[in-house]
Amino acid sequence: MENRPLSPHIQIYKWHISSLVSISHRITGIINFFAITVICIWFALMLFGETNYQIIKFFLETFLGKFILIGITWSFSFQMLSEIRHMIMDLGYGFELQTTKITGLLVIFGSIIMTILIYLFGRGII
Amino acid sequence: MVQISLPKNSEVQKGKYFEDKTGSKNLRKVNIYRWDPSTGGSPRIDTYEVDMDNCPSKVLDILNKIKNEIDPTLAYRRSCAHGVCGSCAMNMGGKNGLACTTSHAEIDGDIDIYPLPHLKVKKDLIGDLDGLYKQYQSIEPWLKNNSTKQTTEIYQSKEDRAKLDGAYECIMCACCSTSCPSYWWNGDKYLGPAVLLQAYRWIIDSRDEERKERLKKVADELKLYRCHTILNCTNACPKGLNPAKAIAEIKKMLATANV
Repeated sequence: MENRPLSPHIQIYKWHISSLVSISHRITGIINFFAITVICIWFALMLFGETNYQIIKFFLETFLGKFILIGITWSFSFQMLSEIRHMIMDLGYGFELQTTKITGLLVIFGSIIMTILIYLFGRGII
Repeated sequence: MVQISLPKNSEVQKGKYFEDKTGSKNLRKVNIYRWDPSTGGSPRIDTYEVDMDNCPSKVLDILNKIKNEIDPTLAYRRSCAHGVCGSCAMNMGGKNGLACTTSHAEIDGDIDIYPLPHLKVKKDLIGDLDGLYKQYQSIEPWLKNNSTKQTTEIYQSKEDRAKLDGAYECIMCACCSTSCPSYWWNGDKYLGPAVLLQAYRWIIDSRDEERKERLKKVADELKLYRCHTILNCTNACPKGLNPAKAIAEIKKMLATANV
């Protein structure tokens, strides 16, 4: 009796938009937690002089640095939009299957558009 | 706890291959999860070539065809074949549903059939739902009315009756609960969408007098708030119900009512 196998679960279950947005919400949440911590440390380091500032600036201008910055921008955008979606759901709205699909897609594409807008805005292009 | 990989004894092996003997041109491959308690060992995936020219439209028809014509050892639950009893709930093409109401035409490519996810397997496609039934019992799914003297009918207005729509139709097939990742990781404590939908059904029943007690009982970090609106449940429900919304309504009641 004890040797009964456990039937496959996450290995076989099909993903759909709502489950993807939900898991991404968690992952971006964790990323943001660490990102905010690192940003705070950077700001604190600047208090200790210009050399620290130069080091951070040098790092942020490398390819990896830019990748991380854009990544964090996306992760913040996603988290924010997804949180709005979850708050609306907490009010009891938007549970119809079609609506969840639409709001899920809005979050995914909205976060990408928001990232591009922030990038363009930060560069002074718009 | 979150456990992504399967335990050692549950890892799925490649199984037997049943070649078509009818000589049909219209074949489909059906992969079915098999485990036999009398022989034990690891579960395996058997592959059957099924003649689709002589097979009706639902997944249950394929299973019946396999059992009747190819391999009589296959075990699965089924009864009404009309989406009423909820016996033939299983995972088909990566999604939970009733085999009797799911068309095999909806599934692309090979048809993969597994038991409901994250259950102890009794045999082949039959999962152990005892835990879920115990949880169902724990919410006391019956009318509670304290007035012992009342011998007449308890009236309910049309509006109050309408509140039960979308909750009373549940057939307890467990498609929703076993599709829920939160229920996979915390199924011993989290009640899961099926049971919470029933909890909601009794909370909003105007004839029930223990609304507050019911709310209090369900208001628990693990029992209720493990729902993170992943919405696998609503996507899976073969009756088109919305357990996720019912759970949100319970949360809302707890947030607004003075319980």
